[in-house]
Amino acid sequence: MQPNAVEIHDLVKRFGDFVAVDHVNLNVSRGEIFGFLGPNGAGKSTTIRMLCGLLKPTSGSATVGGLDISTQAEAVKQHIGYMSQKFSLYDDLSVEENIDFFSGIYSVPPERRKWRKEYVLRMAGIEERRTSLTRLLSGGWKQRLALGCAILHEPPILFLDEPTSGVDPIARRTFWELIYQLSGAGHTIFVSTHYMDEAEYCHRVALMYRGKVIALGTPDELKGSLASHHIFHLEVSDLVGSMRTLEKVEGLSDVAVFGGGLHVTALDEVRALVEIRGALEQAGIKVPLLEKIQPSMEDVFVAMIEEEERKAA
Amino acid sequence: MSLRRLKAVTKKELLHIVRDYRSLWLAIALPLVMLLLFGYALTLDVDRIPTYVYDQDHTPESRDLINQFRGSRYFQILEAVNSYRATDRAIDKSTILLSIVVPKYYSRHLLAGEEADVQLLVDGSDSNTASIALGYADAVVQSYAAQLRSDAQVRRGGQALQVPVEPRIRVWYNSDLKSKNFIVPGLIAVTMMIIASMLSSLTIAREWENGTMEQLLSTPVRPGELVLGKLIAYFALGIVDMLISIIVGVFIFQVPFRGDVWFLFFTSCLFLFGALSWGIFLSASTRSQLMAFQLGMLSSFLPGYLLSGFIYSITNMPKVIQLISYVVPARYFVNILNGVFLKGVGTRVLWLEVVMLAVYAGLVFVGASRKMRLKVA
Amino acid sequence: MRERLLGIIQKEFRQAFREPRMRTMLFLPPLIQLFVFGFAVNLDVDHAYLAWMDGDQTYESRELLAAFQGSGRFDVVALPASDRDVQRLLDSNKADLVVRVLPGFERDLLRDRPTSVQVLINGANSNTASIVSSYASSIITSFASQVMQEQNRARLEARQAPTAVSFQGPQLKMQSRVWFNPDLRSRNYFVPGIVVNIIMLVTLMLTAMAIVREKEIGTMEQLMVTPIRPIELMLGKTLPFALVGLIDTLLVVVAALLLFHIPFRGSALLLFFCGALFLMTSLGAGLFISTISQTQQQAMMTTFMFFQPFFLLSGFAFPIRNMPEAIQILTLLNPVRYFMEIVRGLFLKGSGVDVLWPQMVALAVFGVVILTLSSLRFRKRLD
Repeated sequence: MQPNAVEIHDLVKRFGDFVAVDHVNLNVSRGEIFGFLGPNGAGKSTTIRMLCGLLKPTSGSATVGGLDISTQAEAVKQHIGYMSQKFSLYDDLSVEENIDFFSGIYSVPPERRKWRKEYVLRMAGIEERRTSLTRLLSGGWKQRLALGCAILHEPPILFLDEPTSGVDPIARRTFWELIYQLSGAGHTIFVSTHYMDEAEYCHRVALMYRGKVIALGTPDELKGSLASHHIFHLEVSDLVGSMRTLEKVEGLSDVAVFGGGLHVTALDEVRALVEIRGALEQAGIKVPLLEKIQPSMEDVFVAMIEEEERKAA
Repeated sequence: MSLRRLKAVTKKELLHIVRDYRSLWLAIALPLVMLLLFGYALTLDVDRIPTYVYDQDHTPESRDLINQFRGSRYFQILEAVNSYRATDRAIDKSTILLSIVVPKYYSRHLLAGEEADVQLLVDGSDSNTASIALGYADAVVQSYAAQLRSDAQVRRGGQALQVPVEPRIRVWYNSDLKSKNFIVPGLIAVTMMIIASMLSSLTIAREWENGTMEQLLSTPVRPGELVLGKLIAYFALGIVDMLISIIVGVFIFQVPFRGDVWFLFFTSCLFLFGALSWGIFLSASTRSQLMAFQLGMLSSFLPGYLLSGFIYSITNMPKVIQLISYVVPARYFVNILNGVFLKGVGTRVLWLEVVMLAVYAGLVFVGASRKMRLKVA
Repeated sequence: MRERLLGIIQKEFRQAFREPRMRTMLFLPPLIQLFVFGFAVNLDVDHAYLAWMDGDQTYESRELLAAFQGSGRFDVVALPASDRDVQRLLDSNKADLVVRVLPGFERDLLRDRPTSVQVLINGANSNTASIVSSYASSIITSFASQVMQEQNRARLEARQAPTAVSFQGPQLKMQSRVWFNPDLRSRNYFVPGIVVNIIMLVTLMLTAMAIVREKEIGTMEQLMVTPIRPIELMLGKTLPFALVGLIDTLLVVVAALLLFHIPFRGSALLLFFCGALFLMTSLGAGLFISTISQTQQQAMMTTFMFFQPFFLLSGFAFPIRNMPEAIQILTLLNPVRYFMEIVRGLFLKGSGVDVLWPQMVALAVFGVVILTLSSLRFRKRLD
């Protein structure tokens, strides 16, 4: 088997004049959890759909599991599992019936069917609900069931398109534990999300913006790339006033509300510390807390996206 | 084509059908309701025509004439009135369909051997009933007229005049001329059209709208398997319907069944297959359920209802419409149904119809499979 | 209140008319249905297919054939020569009837011996069979009278006795006058009914679908959170389709008049007024259906399911008069029946309020009841 589970060369997808995917190049290794991040409309779903054979690329090529998505689409489908954004289960079928259906569709060998079904039910934690109608399940359960249905045939590669949208945080956490399990068992997982914090869970991450990949690497690498950006966390007595004041301070590239306080991004660490406190205290605002923090993935992405926008302007 | 995948799709579709109470109702209860309606209530047969009588003459002869109508089962004389106003108003209000007016001096003209008229006023709005009513009335009058002449001849000492030529009418296939005998078999075709155009035309569009189609397309399932799986499931439903219709029709409504059961079964399957494929074809052509439904109504149900010869005979339609009816598969099937139920004929007479159904089924199935494009865009 | 109402109405119109598909769906299917129905639905027998089997081949038998052909109602399509031919023609529906003149026909006539003509009717379609049978019967019977008169004359001429009074037996003739539809075109009877059909279907389905679609998409929830009141939402959803219904009425009526030359003898104003009355019922029913359906598919199917029996029992194609008593009473509960009677009365009979008022009252009552019930249910759902 190829060392790379997924290889994408110069993939492009146009819808009329609109370029949804703009010359994407990347590789995903076997067993990797690869995160595909970006705001809505960035092109993540479109890319995944092309890789799954749902959309025809305008130009460029890609292989999934060594198979060409344009010429060997059918073979590709045998080797992948796909979870679409809407979870797409049949609401009027029971949990079991959905599993049986997908088992049949993926041609799971009869001798393995029962075992795989039990495995999925256990994994999703819905053994007791196996006869419930899918319509009656809550979001978290549906999500895990959808994942289960996608892996019945033990595909080496999984494509999950925004699997955690609209699901509560605990369910999200459980879901990611499942993904880790699967990765540990040797599956390659290609996951897209717009929750920036989920990037931390991935082995490698690509950030997509307006059809282009603007960053690619491990979470640490990406955070490191912001070495020149220092992020400070402040707690202040007057949020709105602080923002107004800090806007006028030079050398600060971003001021944003974060939780009950502010995150301020600056290029020069030492100067920033002094200037921020100075400006605020001059304005009569108390600053009980001011400390430098490690950038979160969200910080990284916001910064990168703003870079892009600045470049485009 | 993988049998395993096909089985999975078929099973899922059957589950969908059984779980969706409204579809089931539509598929089974509605045809039953229509059967009952057509069998008991809806008929074109004309009987007991509400009539008024206006006797201006008041003679034994006029009364005798009126009694001829009274004695006929086709006319129900509601009232004897005394003015044109009464009859006119009754026709306007649709209280009566027909009024019989015996003019003054009727008996005088009659006995003198002059032309004596009886006037009939008919509400022509319902032209079908009016035509038939006029036909009956004409028959009554003519036979009475002949009798009068014959009686007169006898009274003069001559021989009873014999009518030189009499029509000997024999009605083939449906001697009671009961409309239900030809409508109930045709209803089988209509029932299948309902399933084909309503239910199967929604099925693929629904998967698109729900998003499950996208999921399906990412799996190894082939378009042919999807189409066939859905077909088989709806096919089963159609056969159940057909059996119900036949059993109710033959045993409850006593519609004659003179042909070969296997021939009927074979051709029904053929027709059902084609009609369903068309429904699925429509469903695959649009991603909106609303569109699919409308198209189904317009292209499948309506023509099946109107242009198949089920109630309205095709030969009396304008030529253009007759040409269109050649492309309506229900037309051939209705011919077969009438043939099997009423006439007891088989392949020798109906071979063309069978061929047409087969061709249609084949073409549309291939078309439906092709339409199921594997790509989202 | 008015602003919010206008807001919804505007939105509905925009939604309806922005999508080109929706636009065509509002107006095209009704016209297509009118076209197809109008031309196809026809019970007249203008061209019965006659197979003529002349075993006599004489002057008299050819006179009889001429009588059939002269009536303008029969087309001779075949001249079968054997019983097998006859069987084949009837089995394959190539002939509606077979008339068989037996050998010796003319001879019998000349010798004053009563004879007969065999008429085999294809009973497959019993309706046309009835009509064909009565036409054939009447042609043969008038042929018989003619023959009788000739025979009489011949007899009289033969006697030449001075006391022989030219004997004219009683001559009874039927004069018929057909009101409203003198040509007895069944189209005149059906097309007005089609108008009812189309309007009912369009308004019923569109109303139900429009509301259910919002439910499906989820925007209904959104609307419920706003200060809008249930009555405003309901009016906003139904008024646009009431308007569409009236426009469709106009379109279809005009098409009916121009295309099919159906007479229209009543008051147009009355037609629209009654149309509005009827719309109350159909919109109310659409509203009701929307409250019992969660998906568009369910709405469509429920509409269809309700529509069929109501329509079949409205007297459109099958006269209510022909139905069993019990069912006739049942149809009193069918609002479509009343509108059908009104429409037919207006088109063909030129009836006015003096004749139609019972139907109008019935329609009004139904409309109010159905709308009230539906809106109560709608309100509850919204809460």
